[in-house]
Amino acid sequence: MNAITDLAAAEQPSPASAPILSVNGLRVSYGRIEAVRGVDLAVGAGEFVGIIGSNGAGKTSLLRAVTGVLKPVGGSVRFDGADTTGLKSHAMVARGLAMVPEGRMVFADQSVRDNLVLGAFSRIGQDRAGVEADIARMIGLFPRLGERIDQQAGTLSGGEQQMLAIARGLLSRPKLLVIDELSLGLAPKILDMLFPVLTQLNREGLSILLVEQMASYALAVTHRTYVMENGRVLFDGESKALAGDDRVLDAYLGRRGKH
Amino acid sequence: MEAVTQYLLTGLSVGSVYAMVGLGFYVMWTAAKAVNFNFGDIFMLGAVLTVVAMDQGIPLLPAAVLAVVVAAIAAAAIERGFVRPFNQEANAIGWMLTTIAVGTMIESATTALFGSNPRGLPSPLAESPIRLGGAGIYPQELLLPVALVLVAVGLELFYRRTMLGRAMRAVAWNRTAAGLVGIDADRITLIAFGLAGGLGAMAGVLIGPVVQASSTMGGVIGLKGFMVAIIAGIANARGVVIAGVLYGVSEKFIEGYLSTAARDAIGFTLMVLLLLLFPQGLFGRKEIKKV
Repeated sequence: MNAITDLAAAEQPSPASAPILSVNGLRVSYGRIEAVRGVDLAVGAGEFVGIIGSNGAGKTSLLRAVTGVLKPVGGSVRFDGADTTGLKSHAMVARGLAMVPEGRMVFADQSVRDNLVLGAFSRIGQDRAGVEADIARMIGLFPRLGERIDQQAGTLSGGEQQMLAIARGLLSRPKLLVIDELSLGLAPKILDMLFPVLTQLNREGLSILLVEQMASYALAVTHRTYVMENGRVLFDGESKALAGDDRVLDAYLGRRGKH
Repeated sequence: MEAVTQYLLTGLSVGSVYAMVGLGFYVMWTAAKAVNFNFGDIFMLGAVLTVVAMDQGIPLLPAAVLAVVVAAIAAAAIERGFVRPFNQEANAIGWMLTTIAVGTMIESATTALFGSNPRGLPSPLAESPIRLGGAGIYPQELLLPVALVLVAVGLELFYRRTMLGRAMRAVAWNRTAAGLVGIDADRITLIAFGLAGGLGAMAGVLIGPVVQASSTMGGVIGLKGFMVAIIAGIANARGVVIAGVLYGVSEKFIEGYLSTAARDAIGFTLMVLLLLLFPQGLFGRKEIKKV
């Protein structure tokens, strides 16, 4: 854990400086069930922001509404200077927002290479050379993907699939990468390898919004963190400060033995 | 012996039609998890529109191409108007009714405009039969298996080697994930229905000179194409090709050794039994999806 804490960027971009993403009063419903009940949230350009909260807090629904997988019933989403409320996900990708979905959702019946190429779907017509260069860069970032480049994605381990899902997301050259439950079903050893990669990408200028049930990891790598419960943001703040906050320690870091 | 050759050849020919129509169902199903149930009408449009275009003085080949393109556009329009709006929820079944409804409309409209009598689709390859191993067959009929092989190989290359084909497979695997890499899944589905329509219409054009063009020629063939797709396990293209050809050949043997009347009764019974024995289809796998 110490290694990860050390990697967290020391210089923190201010969230006030022109947010790349700002969400206002966002509401999401499934029929009569309200999953997100008016959430405000912002990610500054170059910032690494986390959302933590227990299962069913509305984190995934929030992300799905932000990335256009589902339509919000209320509120607004602004991305990169434009109102993108209700835009579909393929249109959001074209604008520079990529999402690594919960459960990874790699195209299991296609090769690792084809998954990566599909990640560049929105720009491959114009920039084939750039896509090839980016694929090489991803293999540099995740050498395991290079070893398995011609294998079907469904034959990869969970950790390798997560690497592929991240690399696939990066191939659209996003301005903001949204990651839903990076740690889901993965061993700590793999997480200790994946989180530093995110920190590195963030340092290179990528804005990241990370939803994570493993609060300790999220607080260690992000600049700021939102805490969600029951479809609302309970509070937010600097991740370093929250890591010592009693409310967070009790509910999400298992100080009293509950986790 | 000559009879056996005859049954094999004509069976191969009609089986190729079933297989091509079945491949149309395969293409639609993989993209949308829904199909145009009255797909036989797109098949019919291929033949009927060729005759109509030739009436206007257009020569056979351009008329055939025009007919296939128009039928493909009609198939795509059916997706947009009658499948997509009724396939929004998981497990939606509205599209079953709406595609049958629009198919019935197309058939009635065709009867009204084209007439109820079958009309010949003149082709130089269907003028006089050639003899092959003691059997007589029109060269036109031999065109069908050739076209089937080309279509099957072409589809395989399309799905594996082209960006559009990969995107179509991605949509088939997981629409949400496809959207998240920038693929417009709705647009891909529209294209898939157009592509399927082109395949179906092409089968209609190719068999038209042998069976004549009529507004009702698509009904049973559409049903049989759907059946061989299901029997093969609808998500397996090679399986659909094999099942289609086998069904066509078995039909001709039943016709030859028993009677034309027995053909469909026995054929459909066989299909039901096969489905009972292989609920996933002969070549189907369980749809494994990691969640």
